[in-house]
Amino acid sequence: MKYFDRLHPAVAFVYFALMIAISMLTTNPVVIAVSYLSSIVFCGMLIGGRQLMVSLAYNLPLLILLSATNPIFVHKGETILFFLNDNPVTKEAILYGVFASMMIMSVFYWFKCYSTVMTSDKFIYLFGRIIPKLSLVLSMSIAFIPKLKRKYKEIDEAQKALGIYSGKGMVDKIRSKFRVLSILLTNSLESSIDTADSMRARGYGLKGRSSYAIYKMTASDKILCALFILVGTASIVLIVLGTVDFNFYPTLSPISLQALQIVAYAIITAFAFAPTILEVKENVLWRCLKSKI
Amino acid sequence: MALLEIKNLSFTYQGASNKALRDINLEINQGDFVLFCGESGCGKTTLLKLLKKQLRPNGSLQGQITYNGTNIENLDEKQSVCEIGYVMQNPENQTVTDKVWHELAFGLESLGEKTAVIRRKVAEICGFFGIGSWYHKRTCELSGGQKQLLSLASVMVMNPSVLILDEPTAQLDPIAASEFLQSLRKINQELGVTIIIAEHRLEEVFPMASKVVLMDKAQVFLCDTPRNIGQRLANDDMSHKMSLALPTAVRVFYKTQGTGQTPLTVNEGKQYIASNFAGSNTTCSFEKASRQEVALQISEGYFRYERDLPDVLNGVDIEVYKNEFLCILGANGAGKTTLLRVLSGLKRLYKGKYRLWGKKIKDYNGNSLYRGNIACLPQNPQNLFVKSTVYDDLMETAKVVNANVEQCKSMVEEVAQKLDIAHLYQSHPYDLSGGEQQKAALAKILLMKPSIILLDEATKGLDAYSKQTFAQVVDALKKDGKTIVMVTHDVEFAAEHADRCAMFFDGQIVSCDNRVDFFATNRYYTTATARMTRPYFTNAVTVDMAVELCNLNKGAK
Repeated sequence: MKYFDRLHPAVAFVYFALMIAISMLTTNPVVIAVSYLSSIVFCGMLIGGRQLMVSLAYNLPLLILLSATNPIFVHKGETILFFLNDNPVTKEAILYGVFASMMIMSVFYWFKCYSTVMTSDKFIYLFGRIIPKLSLVLSMSIAFIPKLKRKYKEIDEAQKALGIYSGKGMVDKIRSKFRVLSILLTNSLESSIDTADSMRARGYGLKGRSSYAIYKMTASDKILCALFILVGTASIVLIVLGTVDFNFYPTLSPISLQALQIVAYAIITAFAFAPTILEVKENVLWRCLKSKI
Repeated sequence: MALLEIKNLSFTYQGASNKALRDINLEINQGDFVLFCGESGCGKTTLLKLLKKQLRPNGSLQGQITYNGTNIENLDEKQSVCEIGYVMQNPENQTVTDKVWHELAFGLESLGEKTAVIRRKVAEICGFFGIGSWYHKRTCELSGGQKQLLSLASVMVMNPSVLILDEPTAQLDPIAASEFLQSLRKINQELGVTIIIAEHRLEEVFPMASKVVLMDKAQVFLCDTPRNIGQRLANDDMSHKMSLALPTAVRVFYKTQGTGQTPLTVNEGKQYIASNFAGSNTTCSFEKASRQEVALQISEGYFRYERDLPDVLNGVDIEVYKNEFLCILGANGAGKTTLLRVLSGLKRLYKGKYRLWGKKIKDYNGNSLYRGNIACLPQNPQNLFVKSTVYDDLMETAKVVNANVEQCKSMVEEVAQKLDIAHLYQSHPYDLSGGEQQKAALAKILLMKPSIILLDEATKGLDAYSKQTFAQVVDALKKDGKTIVMVTHDVEFAAEHADRCAMFFDGQIVSCDNRVDFFATNRYYTTATARMTRPYFTNAVTVDMAVELCNLNKGAK
């Protein structure tokens, strides 16, 4: 099990919320590059190298495509490199395209990490606290979807084998799917009566319903959470205050490396790579423990 | 004082003219294991629902039901929820949440228990049922049997003193059903929980019960211990419908006019036969069906769902002859349903040949495969119904084959006559009982005039009487020259009605023979009668065959 999986859902959620915010708040190339790299590395740790390669195979071409789009349509910027169909292609526009799409990709990968770590029950646990009824509804709907899917397939096959529709031609296809859906609806309504009975039999509707969860906030969870909040908000404050502001147009603004900027970059880098570092630390620790056994 | 007392209970559903229950008087004591049996629609479910305050149906009720001296209606909500547990038939529908742990905690959440308390109780229950390893699983990943066990556990977690179960094993395969019943026995024996259960398959649960209530037409017909029930049925009314459902040993006992203690289990039945009917007649004669032309044939068929998954069909060879009823038996998950999917043309073999009437399956274009050739009755007949009355539903299908409305009408009429469902025309398909639904679905299929009918576990969840009706329907279809293939777990049904049986294992047909030789050769996977009569009889695989031999030997003595 991954270290991040074992964390209390609130801690993981805080981290992802802050990190995604940081990635989206600034156009600073350094921050974007850091976020992009760290998101990919962490994602690789969560889903494994092979899976990561598969997703990169899709994402890298997309990245290039997105980067190429900007300079074709945007002609701002002062450093003209060449003309394409009488339109100037500028260095600034190219770089803006590259970094903007890197930002999109980093956010994409952070969300990929998020969805790997924050499974539905964790999400329900977090938000069920705020709205207890909602947590049950969410849990029920999540349980309902695979049921519905399986039923749909069953009905579809039953209807197909009945030979009523040929499945050839668009109209026939749509009509047949409509039939399946209509059966599915009746079927689900019927079965939901059972579900309601089962809920009532187990006391749903009594006053003072509580909400059970299997997660426990440990001391180390609390410390880590505090650290995440501290470092994360510090990064956001620094970004909002304009410490690392960067403009692409009309000319690229210089990346200044004053003391404050260095601090900001250091903090953001540390925050972005924190999950990776924690995961690596955990692995190393495990190796040590294992060799002792 | 009895734990549950039912006095002069009558009940009529709202808007109904007939009483669903009439003059019921019953006493159920602490620690009893009460088994309710009877044909579907005899009022079992109504009675069970009336025992649980939260599930009481609407209608007018006379008489009263008391729990510990208090009328059920006046019970405290919380008390009723906790102390009277209720488990329903369909495991799929009664699972509410997406995670096993949440499902287990659901009832306790409703009661407003603190997290620490819930954690402890859930842990205990997981230990008791041995389901700790599923704790973090999603409910949709569980098998049917596991889901039903989870439903039981999530009711037991509230520590009920009475547990009511309405046909809890109807949707399970025999192995899962037997495991489930063992858990019930454990609950009854080790915790002293009173169990009230309605069931159709009685072979296993009958000997467990301390009291059996036989219901017929909204009334209690008999109420006694299992041993006495056997005797009283034998004495009272030999042809009573319910006797069909009784365990094999009991049926053999009263059909041979046995005296003394009724045998309930296979073991007891064996002793009964050993001491009374062991003799020189050991083999039944039976008629073997003559072979006709091959209707469908798969040779060396291979199939898998995805490239990286293992083969589900692994060089399967099967031949089905014209006008025969072939049963394919096998364990859960062995791939029987997959075989049926391939036979019905929904899935294609990736290697091997499949010929239908000597013609390659590929050569049946578009719908020609399903018009006049092959039809498949799915496990859940509800999956076929589209319209809101049976008649409209049948007409709709008839219109696909015929252009003319008059023709449609006469066709529907003809099929309905054959299956005896004309009186159900105006009902909603979902309101029919399991057996009736099965027949309505079959009618729909017959409208397509298939020559080969594939049945997927058609006897699942049917009571003994509906099963017999269904067997008659199958016989009638055979007379019309149809070929029928059924995959099933129901060995008793196969032994009584099939022409040939085949055993499916590890992606192949491992044995295939006529029904008698098939079950007589099998040692473990065979009918209760075969197990019970061995070694005294060599090929008595059905109750009737056993009784015939018993009588022959008795006469010889």
